[in-house]
Amino acid sequence: MECFSLLRTDVPALIDHLGAFGEVVAPHAKGDVSYSFETVGDSSLVVLDYNRTLLPLKKEFLPPVEKLVSFSLNDLTSTPVEIPIEPKVYFAIHSYEMQSILRLDHSMLSGNVESNYLKRRTKSRFVGISFTPDEFHFSESVGIAIEDMEGFDLFLNEVDGDYQLYVLTENGRLLIHGFNKLKTAEPEIVEGREFKTKIRYHYNRLPRVFQYAYHSDVWAEVASRCVSCGACNLTCPTCFCFDVNDEVTITAEDGKRQRSWDSCMLSTFAEVAGGENFRENTINRTRHRLYRKFKYITDEEGLPWCVGCGRCTAFCPAGISLPEIVNDLIHEDEQAQLHQRVSV
Amino acid sequence: MKRFEDVKLDEAQDLYFPTMCKVTQAKQITDMEKWYELEMPEGQDLGHSPGQFVEVSAFGIGEAPISISSAPHNNGRFELCIRQVGVLTNVLKKYEAGDSLGIRGPYGKGFPIEKLLGKDILIIAGGIGLVPLRSLINYVLDNRTDFGRLIILYGAKTPNELLFKEEIAEWIARDDVEFHVTVDQGDENWTGNTGVITTLIPGLDLNLNTTIAAITGPPIMYKFVIMSLKSKQLADDQIYVSLERRMKCGVGKCGHCQINGVYCCQEGPVFNYADIKPLEEAF
Repeated sequence: MECFSLLRTDVPALIDHLGAFGEVVAPHAKGDVSYSFETVGDSSLVVLDYNRTLLPLKKEFLPPVEKLVSFSLNDLTSTPVEIPIEPKVYFAIHSYEMQSILRLDHSMLSGNVESNYLKRRTKSRFVGISFTPDEFHFSESVGIAIEDMEGFDLFLNEVDGDYQLYVLTENGRLLIHGFNKLKTAEPEIVEGREFKTKIRYHYNRLPRVFQYAYHSDVWAEVASRCVSCGACNLTCPTCFCFDVNDEVTITAEDGKRQRSWDSCMLSTFAEVAGGENFRENTINRTRHRLYRKFKYITDEEGLPWCVGCGRCTAFCPAGISLPEIVNDLIHEDEQAQLHQRVSV
Repeated sequence: MKRFEDVKLDEAQDLYFPTMCKVTQAKQITDMEKWYELEMPEGQDLGHSPGQFVEVSAFGIGEAPISISSAPHNNGRFELCIRQVGVLTNVLKKYEAGDSLGIRGPYGKGFPIEKLLGKDILIIAGGIGLVPLRSLINYVLDNRTDFGRLIILYGAKTPNELLFKEEIAEWIARDDVEFHVTVDQGDENWTGNTGVITTLIPGLDLNLNTTIAAITGPPIMYKFVIMSLKSKQLADDQIYVSLERRMKCGVGKCGHCQINGVYCCQEGPVFNYADIKPLEEAF
């Protein structure tokens, strides 16, 4: 693995250089406090020090609204949507975000391999960047370090205000080929970037907790505060559920079938024909969301389907904290074990 | 964990593009249900097994999962029976022979025929639940010597709501079919059993070693039917259920049909009761 030093002031030049490969997508400031992944027009506007974007990078591979089929109502013919395979560089991506893309890969490519997702993913390159955790990040609790470089082609690690650039793949080496502002360097370890928020157990102890948490009182307490708005799902980088609907043009001659992000926290999500609803209560829906993150896929793949980005907590209008829910479940589990020991 | 690097572009499928199938016959068979025969565009076989479903679409309206009601065969045609309960299904009511419908599928796991061979088959159908089970019934009748007894219990709310009346008459007339029917509420012409479908179970004389039960019906029915079968000492793994969920994509992605951690559209809709019993969201 090669390591170079890179001055912070030379980062825009690096972004411009990457633009030779393809469109560069990077974090930009939105308003006073928010950030968004946007196509780079002016590389000096890219924000390197950001806490998190509102929408995760999944929007690039699984767009919030996506046309699946075009149809004509005149002759009842339809056309699948062609997704162009375009080279793109995703720049200044945090490690939890990259881990979420690796998890989305699994979700969209195992079983039935989805062409829309795969085509968008085919020529994507990723440049990571280190970050300073705020009060909502808890990636370390789900096994993701700030400097976790898995999935990246290049990684920028901030050292004393400037950067060390790690070249991680052959694709990464090709990306920086001809860029002359790099100097060979020895990798340095950065101290002091610690997560303030933590889940009290290591993630590999959580399956035990969730095994016994199905009938926990914690769900009712959380549900009593939840307003079922679905913001947690929509901002979650590993949620991939969607709805499908048809939209007809105003001339009623043609239209499109499209999918849009959906949320298992919405009351109608698990409704079936005739109105029966298998998760009618907020309690059931809250539990389902957490079990999607820590139990169902985790049982099969051994990893939490939560990457600790903190979005669901940071953007929850009711102030519900995912790490707090898990810590409450851990506490309840400990109490149950203690009680069991005492009664024995 | 499946990794992006492990997948080749030619493995990818356009999962959401429907095939247009022509309606060859259509008939309103009750006040709320219409039966359709459809033909694949090249006359090819749909290739389904009893218990599977297709995503049916009408452009401009949407898609819905619909059980395949016919037994597998090779003449390029298959049958659906659709209850008119929503926007899409009410639009489909207008479709007649000559019209075209979009179809994706077949999807899901049907009844495991190989495990049913040589067994007594106990069909328990509540209301519209007869639609997927008709596929299994007709498969058994098409291959009659491969199975033991065929016992059919069928319940509807009223005599008017009984589906496939002509076929039922044929089943009743056969010596190799034991058919029992009940309605929740009879009318002046009804001379048969009245009561919920579980009232038909205590009188059954089942061979516990060879009987396999297949249940489909409204959500509330399963608990009581299974309770009744358990009182007859039928083992959990001798019971199969077909469960209804809103399977929007049919290919294990959209998440709507999840029963706890299980995707109904992939691992179901037909489940062995022993497998799905631990799942709290199943019934």
